[in-house]
Amino acid sequence: MAIGDGGGLRRRALLGGLVVLGASALLPRRESSAQSPTPTHRIDVHHHHSPPAYVAALKSKGIGQPPTLAWTPEKSVEDMDRAGVATSLTSITTPALTFLETAERRRVARECNEWTRKLVADRKGRFGMFAVVPMPDVEGSLQEIAHALDTLKADGIGLLTSYGDTWLGDSAFTPVFEELNRRKAVVYTHPTAADCCKKLIAEVPESAIEYGTDTTRTIASFVFTGSAARFPDLKIIFSHAGGTMPFLTERFTRLPLANKQLEAKVPNGVAHELRRFYYDTAQASHPMALASLTRLVSTSQILFGTDFPFRTAADHVKGLTEYGFSASDLRAIDRDNAVRLMPQLKA
Amino acid sequence: MAHRIDVHHHIAPPSYLAALHMRKLGAPPTMAWTLTKSLEDMDRAGVATAITSLTTPAIGPWVADAAGARRLARECNEYAAKLTSDHPGRFGMFAVLPMPDVDASLREIEYALDSLRADGVLFLTSYANRWLGDPTFAPLFDELNRRAALVYTHPTTPPGCEGLIPEIPESVIEYATDTSRTIGSLLFTGTAARCPDVRIIFSHAGGTMPFLIERFTRLPGMRKDLEARVPHGVLHELRRFYYDIAQAAHPMALGSLLKIVSVSQVLFGTDFPFRTSEEHVKMLGECGFAPTEIAAIERDNALRLLPRRQG
Repeated sequence: MAIGDGGGLRRRALLGGLVVLGASALLPRRESSAQSPTPTHRIDVHHHHSPPAYVAALKSKGIGQPPTLAWTPEKSVEDMDRAGVATSLTSITTPALTFLETAERRRVARECNEWTRKLVADRKGRFGMFAVVPMPDVEGSLQEIAHALDTLKADGIGLLTSYGDTWLGDSAFTPVFEELNRRKAVVYTHPTAADCCKKLIAEVPESAIEYGTDTTRTIASFVFTGSAARFPDLKIIFSHAGGTMPFLTERFTRLPLANKQLEAKVPNGVAHELRRFYYDTAQASHPMALASLTRLVSTSQILFGTDFPFRTAADHVKGLTEYGFSASDLRAIDRDNAVRLMPQLKA
Repeated sequence: MAHRIDVHHHIAPPSYLAALHMRKLGAPPTMAWTLTKSLEDMDRAGVATAITSLTTPAIGPWVADAAGARRLARECNEYAAKLTSDHPGRFGMFAVLPMPDVDASLREIEYALDSLRADGVLFLTSYANRWLGDPTFAPLFDELNRRAALVYTHPTTPPGCEGLIPEIPESVIEYATDTSRTIGSLLFTGTAARCPDVRIIFSHAGGTMPFLIERFTRLPGMRKDLEARVPHGVLHELRRFYYDIAQAAHPMALGSLLKIVSVSQVLFGTDFPFRTSEEHVKMLGECGFAPTEIAAIERDNALRLLPRRQG
């Protein structure tokens, strides 16, 4: 992309100016980008697959985007091999199962997870799984969480950023997060267009603005309902570098200052919660997102993600390499951070 | 010495306050605004001139009757013009229009720019789920383009996005998002390319557009119909727009914005009375710009757009 450095902002002074968050340890290091692709080592935490039961359900309603409907395991492996991706954590993209009736949703969730488990076993080491659950059905989701984590040994649970017009901090979802927190589970979140924000502008697809925004909304919901403070053992991954939250950080950090009720919901501070979440690089492996994110969180919170099959892994390797991370930071983002989060991926 | 020019400074003319009061609308800082408060805030932070505007909801569909909206716009603009002439050098004005009434807005543009000598006109980022590139608004942009006018935009919350999350005020996420939407709308309806002489200011460092930039720049490659709407490319248009620093004078926003546009496109703005000028001077100073760049942002860039404020 032909976006140059607009010039003007001197890095060191900029970092010194991080008064809002009072941080000094969150530095995008730029010394060198001596990136020499070691053999296949990357772990992609944002990689979409389409189990047959999912494709059938989509087709029965006449929905589903072409890349989703055309997915095959071979296409995944081919994309991974081209860019040194060892393992992809599979998940179902939006609309996930939200378009199905409750009983159907439970059934398809189970079939998808069973199928994925087999994929993981058959292609040893190449895939992991974030299990789909029949949200917003809380009871059904609790059952599927138990099955997925206990029986199928899923690496984590995949959730959308909202269901209808309800975001993840909503009290309706508390039992799900209590259970996930008890299990110290990894939760991967994927954006969707909330009911409020579908088909707003004919010329602008929802993926351009609404997805990013919905991630920001669910982060706000999770933080300011008190869920984030209440569930400290959850490990949550937000897609696309946090949606648009890093750009709006000041709006987040100022909120409790003006509202004592909200202050009580974030006893450890807003920045504390934002800095312990994880963020993937899918469709955000460019300086305009990374410069903002890396000023907010440390490199340890950033995970390699590609949004395959909507984008390629090679694209993202290129974007991250060109950003100028140090070799060790790049290694952490590409692999080590994910292994810390999910030690079973080490093999 | 007072030298700064604030392009994002809200006033609340008496007739606007009365109209808001009647509908039980209006944020407390708006309802409590006084001229003295504006001048005090400016004096504390070396702001020579503030270009005044109404904040959301400004004048929009909430003013149910068309005649009432026209009258309200006229009274607000007369008030702002008097403020400008009563306090030489201290104020300029972005005139409010009786939107979404296009014919009446065309007449108010003429009156405000020709008779009141307004510095530009204010648009909200959307009116009842129509963003600024909407074909309904094309006559307005064509006229403003003919005049090579200055347009200042201020975010609002579209009807469907009000009260989404009880804990989160709309100013936290929804405002910025609506600025991104209207930028998307102006680009991909072809309005931006069709009206190259309109100079547009977007509030709050462009909403969230800089962070989402790749989604914007990739779009024409994914859809050939959109490619024709941005014949000079997405970046060409984004780089000729202007962006104020109100509520965005921090590295997480400016670090991203300045990787897309040059310093020449960035303008000092404060969002008074919701934030102070002092805060913005301080935070901008801590971002690490060179003194000449600070001078450009605080004054020189605005002067290029506001020749009457040379003072």
